[in-house]
Amino acid sequence: MKGSALTQLSIKNPKLVTTILVLLTLALAALIIMVKVDTDPENMLSATEPVRLFHHQVKKEFTLHDMVVLGVVNEKHPNGVFNPATLNHVHELTEFVKTLHDPNHPEMRVVTENLISPGTVDTIEQAGLGQVSFDWLMKTPPTTEQEALKIRDNAMGNPLLKGTLISEDEKAIGIYIPISSKDFAAQVRKRLLKKIESFSDQNGDQFYITGLPVAEDTFGQEMFIQMAISAPLAMLAIFLLMLLFFKQLKLIIAPMIIAMMSVFCTMGLLIGTGNTLHIMSSMIPIFLMPIAVVDSIHILSEFFDSYPAIKDRRKTIEHVMGQLFTPMLYTSLTSAAGFASLALTPIPPVQAFGIFVAIGIMLAWLFTILFVPAYVMLMSEKSLEGFGVSAVNKDNQPSSALSRFLKWMGGFTYKRSKLIMVFTLLTLLVAGYGINKIVINDNPIKWFTPSHPIRVADRVLNHHFAGTYEAYLVLTGAEPDLDQDGVAALLNKEITGPEITPTIAQEAMTLLSAAKAESKSADELLTKVAIKWEEQMDAAPDETYNSWVNIVDLVDKIRNRDQIFKQPIVLNYLASLQKYLLDGGIVGKSNSVTDVVKKVHQELFAGESEYYRVPDSIGAVSECLISFQNSHKPDDLFHFVTPDYTKANIWLQLRNGDNQGMEAVVKSVEKFMADNPPPVALNHQWAGLTYLNIVWQDKMVSGMREAFLGSFVIVFVMMVILFRSVLWGMLAMVPLSVTIAIIYGIIGLIGKEYDMPVAVLSSLTLGLAVDFAIHFLERSRMTFKKTGSWKAASKEMFEEPARAITKNVIVIAVGFTPLLAAPLVPYKTVGVFLASIMAISGIGTMIILPAMITIMQKWLFKKNRLNIGKE
Amino acid sequence: MNKIFILTSAVLAFIAGTTNAIAAPAVDEIINRANLAAYYGGDDGRAEVVMTITDSQNRARVREFIILRLDQKDGGEQKFYVYFTKPTDFKRTVFMVHKHMDRDDDRWMYLPKLALVKRIAGSDKRTSFVGAHFFYEDVSGRSVDEDTHELIEETADRYVVKNTPKNPADVEFSSYTVWIDKKNFMPMKAEYLDKEGRRSRVVEALEVKDIQGFPTVTKSRVQDLVSGGETISEFKNIKYNIGLQDNIFTERYLKKPPKEVRN
Repeated sequence: MKGSALTQLSIKNPKLVTTILVLLTLALAALIIMVKVDTDPENMLSATEPVRLFHHQVKKEFTLHDMVVLGVVNEKHPNGVFNPATLNHVHELTEFVKTLHDPNHPEMRVVTENLISPGTVDTIEQAGLGQVSFDWLMKTPPTTEQEALKIRDNAMGNPLLKGTLISEDEKAIGIYIPISSKDFAAQVRKRLLKKIESFSDQNGDQFYITGLPVAEDTFGQEMFIQMAISAPLAMLAIFLLMLLFFKQLKLIIAPMIIAMMSVFCTMGLLIGTGNTLHIMSSMIPIFLMPIAVVDSIHILSEFFDSYPAIKDRRKTIEHVMGQLFTPMLYTSLTSAAGFASLALTPIPPVQAFGIFVAIGIMLAWLFTILFVPAYVMLMSEKSLEGFGVSAVNKDNQPSSALSRFLKWMGGFTYKRSKLIMVFTLLTLLVAGYGINKIVINDNPIKWFTPSHPIRVADRVLNHHFAGTYEAYLVLTGAEPDLDQDGVAALLNKEITGPEITPTIAQEAMTLLSAAKAESKSADELLTKVAIKWEEQMDAAPDETYNSWVNIVDLVDKIRNRDQIFKQPIVLNYLASLQKYLLDGGIVGKSNSVTDVVKKVHQELFAGESEYYRVPDSIGAVSECLISFQNSHKPDDLFHFVTPDYTKANIWLQLRNGDNQGMEAVVKSVEKFMADNPPPVALNHQWAGLTYLNIVWQDKMVSGMREAFLGSFVIVFVMMVILFRSVLWGMLAMVPLSVTIAIIYGIIGLIGKEYDMPVAVLSSLTLGLAVDFAIHFLERSRMTFKKTGSWKAASKEMFEEPARAITKNVIVIAVGFTPLLAAPLVPYKTVGVFLASIMAISGIGTMIILPAMITIMQKWLFKKNRLNIGKE
Repeated sequence: MNKIFILTSAVLAFIAGTTNAIAAPAVDEIINRANLAAYYGGDDGRAEVVMTITDSQNRARVREFIILRLDQKDGGEQKFYVYFTKPTDFKRTVFMVHKHMDRDDDRWMYLPKLALVKRIAGSDKRTSFVGAHFFYEDVSGRSVDEDTHELIEETADRYVVKNTPKNPADVEFSSYTVWIDKKNFMPMKAEYLDKEGRRSRVVEALEVKDIQGFPTVTKSRVQDLVSGGETISEFKNIKYNIGLQDNIFTERYLKKPPKEVRN
């Protein structure tokens, strides 16, 4: 058979096979230096994903950038941050930020012109004697307490700034640093931290840096450090445990080499084929290592137990490979299928992850069957002397705790099979309850542990400010087109307004009829009537001048109908929507063109609070807007509305970046707009990083579910083929089903949120849990064939086969505990759940499977079901 | 003296000098003569202006207005009356300036729909003129005394003068360089460096015509090199010495525009 052919190849040419494998690994590993890192979770969505295209269109259309948030907090000074020393720090940091750019990458820079800081924002304020002034909030840093307090008063009096630039408790100032590219965020943070360190007098100021781009970019960088620490540590732990179990240093080096070769070759292939190294794919080594060592541990365990009896390395390895070839092939194929099914998800990095883990698993399998025999052959018989013997003594001694325990467990599963089944069912019930409680949620900031400076900054700043997470609600509207009659009717109606004297109104109507007779279209009518009316206005004596002015204005009113977001009724609608969202609690603050209009209107009317409202006519709104544009930064208006006033952007600040929060906000908007139909038809769409996160989360959750169900079916079919029996196939699916139910049940019960790493775990479970089941069932059938009775077979099963599984469980479970020390939560999650998966699936295999076999032995061991797919 | 007022070539300014072909005039003289050329053409003037503001995404907005100017004294006090005709919802808005030498300018804005006359505090003139890339200071002129001047180069037809603000905290630039036409002292181009020393802003005269004997900028452009936007101003129906009355430039005429702007 094929297996023995490959094995024979290695046994006969161990040096050649080893050399080829080493060269192959070196060649592929060399490709790793071409690595291109991609830490952008946005790439969880394909580049052509409509929501992503829209997000970029919105960013361009409203000149929005991803922001790094730098918070300066002072809790000590009685005036909070509004003291000269702190404001001087703020000034110095602002000037420093302006200089930040990457000399090697001109596209990476701070977008200075959109920097939001006391020194770079304008305020419109009262300047005495009925004057207004447009001035920088903080042109130069203050030298006296009094100047500092004046800055406070101006900032606190500006609703556009309060809660964003200045915290409402006056203890914090936020500098919002727009960056041209998200990849620049971690560098900005690093350079800021260095600058802050250089401040000689801290003045009780505390500095915090956060924002989604910082979290995402920094995570990417720390992830690589983590990869370089965690993976070798895990290797070391596995190595030490194997040393403990097998004692033979020389022998256990083999699985280590296989794991390394598999990881290097897979990563080399991934990078060599032009894939970027993404947050997902960086986890490939961690996922691959346990799977890669599992097969070798089975071989070693078997070799270990057989060698003392056979006493010939060649014969022993032939015997072992003969026993294990089929189960290993199937375990590898099923694990690979589990991961390959991720290719069905609509998320490119998850696809790459799944495909390359699958490739890695098959590589590990190939390396195992080629390299382990070669490696054994390259050792001298002498060096194996004593190998296994001590173990035989040890394991077979009544004093071996493991052996005794397993023996007892074997008996227990046979005698108490029904009790075990009852207990299993109860466990499943509890797990089902837990699964129902699972909360789907993610938040890149929470990828850091609670004590990480970014996480701390997130907490502190979201406590002081109205929120550091941004989402954009873009509204688009249009008025229905009017024909000539429609225009004429509308004008006629408006002419009879109160500000126009009846005689003038009559004259105007006559001219309107004349213009209508001369025109063929609505547009032409407007042009003609405008000319006629303007002639009258220019010729009008002082008494009727104003009436004519009002009439002429009507033309503009009709023409500007499409400028939806100048209409007072629409602006007020935005305000009520904003208020509704604010009352919901998740949105800390929102800014829109309405807020700009209200603030300017108020200041134009001497700052009186009763004028903090939208004026009554489009013209008056226009005048507020044009007044705003007399500032240093007129284009700031166009963050909220397009210059043609057909699209508006409500800029939401969320206090919490959880996907759940964003989802709730999306729902509130739907509800509000359904309950309160807008005055003109308004189309709404979302953009912003916080929103993108929920889109890919949705895709991930549904994608993972489909991928999992798909691979479940595939694995089941493979099991049926392997065992040539539907019943045995179903049995093989039991441990992994129970494991998955329990794992996700626990996740639901402890309130751990279902996020990216948790979603991927289902595939890992599928891969690892089915492994044990295959080994256990395959061996059970072989043993049954040998002994002819399940009772006898089950006894034997709890000798070597159970020991192999137990060792595997312990090695991998304990081997990955170093991940728990990682400062990044996804690594911790993977570490904890890998250990749990191993433990539960190991227990599931060794307790539930024999109990079920015991109960169903009548059907399972019918003669025709016993033609096992092995010799 | 002559020369027209050029609304926007404003920033350009300031030189003085003789037309002596051999020795360059002193820098102060170049600057003074450039100031006169750019802002003090005739004793008064009227022009119709179309200002096209284009942002970095090539979205254009248009402002149209009529501008009246009356000089009290060449190189000295001036009055401006700017009457908007477009965009339509901005019609009849008026902006008025009394430019002073010894103190901040007086500035008024009349917003007809809000029925509001508002004075604008004059301390900072480097704010946008109605959303354009031109500043108020470009419109009414930056005082020659606010900078120190240095003639850094003389080409075949240009004096190149570097201007450094005496009070750097008041402005957003670190210095600017002006290219001045040797023949008529018209500032043809000004380039601003920001505080980090990067070119940030360019103001240029794109077209200069002779009108009633005054060299007059009829098309000018400001480019914002940071944001990528630009504004182009075109001047039409330019007339000098039309005999404007001083009383037009008073609050009374804000609400009821004078016949000079009512076509």
